[in-house]
Amino acid sequence: MEHIGVREDIEATDAHAHPVTGPRTYALILLVLLVLTAVTVTAAGINFGPYNTVIALIIASLKASLVALFFMNLRHDKLSAVIFVSGLLFLAVFLIFTLFDINTRTPLFPDNLKEPVKEFPGAPLNKPIQPSTGTAPAGS
Amino acid sequence: MSEATTTVHAEPEHSPFLQHHFQGMGQQFDASKIGMWLFLVTEVLLFGGLFVGYAIMHAKHPEAFMQAHHHLSRPLGTLNTVVLLVSSFTMVMAVWSAQTSKRKLLILFLSLTLLLACVFLVVKGFEYNHKFEEGLLPGKFYTHQGDTVPGQFMFFSFYFMMTGLHGIHVLAGMGAISWLLRRALRGDFSSVYFGPVDLVGLYWHLVDMIWIYLFPLMYLIS
Repeated sequence: MEHIGVREDIEATDAHAHPVTGPRTYALILLVLLVLTAVTVTAAGINFGPYNTVIALIIASLKASLVALFFMNLRHDKLSAVIFVSGLLFLAVFLIFTLFDINTRTPLFPDNLKEPVKEFPGAPLNKPIQPSTGTAPAGS
Repeated sequence: MSEATTTVHAEPEHSPFLQHHFQGMGQQFDASKIGMWLFLVTEVLLFGGLFVGYAIMHAKHPEAFMQAHHHLSRPLGTLNTVVLLVSSFTMVMAVWSAQTSKRKLLILFLSLTLLLACVFLVVKGFEYNHKFEEGLLPGKFYTHQGDTVPGQFMFFSFYFMMTGLHGIHVLAGMGAISWLLRRALRGDFSSVYFGPVDLVGLYWHLVDMIWIYLFPLMYLIS
C-alpha cells in the first residue's frame, strides 16, 4: 500500500497554519479526564451536604473545559472560542434567570384554596398526575 | 489509489477537494469550521432546554430525583463515561493522523472510535432494557410499584429524553465516522485536506461533553 509521506518540516504549514498538537498531549489529557472521572465518582460517595451537586458540576466543567481547549483545540482558535462561549453565555442567561424565578416566587393559591396545592393531589403514589385545573381535589 | 492522493502534494492550492468559490484550502477550512461551531452552538442550546427543565424539576422535587436515581447503575454509567472519553481521544488521534497524512493510523483510529461508540450504545441498551423490565418509563408509562417518594416518574422522563437525545447524537456521529472511514480508505485525506475529519471530530467531542454533564446529573445525585 502506498504511504503518503509528509516531511516533518512542512507539517505545520500544510495543516492550514494551525499548530498540530501531538499524541503525547492528547494522551495526557485523556489521563487527566479519567482521573477526574474517578474523583467525581468518589466524591459522590462522600456526604458534603448541599455541596455535592456543586462539586460534581465543577468537576464536570473542568472536564468539559479540557475537552474544549485541547481536543477541540479552542486554545489556538480564538474565533471559534468566541462563537462557542457566546452560545454558552445565552445558555447561562436562560438557566440563571429561570432559577431566579423558581427560587424567588411565592406560592400562588387559587381563590378556592386556602392552603398551597400539595404535591400531586389525589394521585396514587407512583402514578403521574393530571395537569392541575386549579380546583380543590375531591374530599379536601 | 485515486487521483486525489497523487495530485495533492504536487499543487496544494489545486487540490481536487478545493471548491471553486474558495481561494485556497486554508480559507475553505476556516469557513467550514465557523459553520460547524455555529451548528455546535445550536446543539448546546437544544440540550440546554432539557438541562434547564431538569434543573427546575430537580429544584422542586429533590427527594423524588434522589430516590429515582438509585435505580440507575453507577458502574455502568461510569463505564460508559470512560468509553466515551477514550473514544474522544481516539477521535482526536484520528484528526492528528489526518493532519500528518498518516493514512493507516487514520483508518485505525476511526475504526476504534466507531467500535467504542458501538460499545457505548450496547451498554446503554442493557441499561434501557433493565428500566423497561422494571416499568421505569417516562410520564404516563411509568408502572413501577413500591415507590416511597411520589413523582419519581419525572426523573425517568428526563432520563429517557436526555440520554435518548444524546444516544441519537451518538448514532448520527457513528454515521458520520463511517462516512469518514469510507473516504479515508479511498485515500481522500492528507495534511492538505483534513477538514471533514476535523469537523466530525468537533461534533464527536461535543457529544462527549454533553455526556460529561449528563453523567453526574443522572448517576451521581447525592
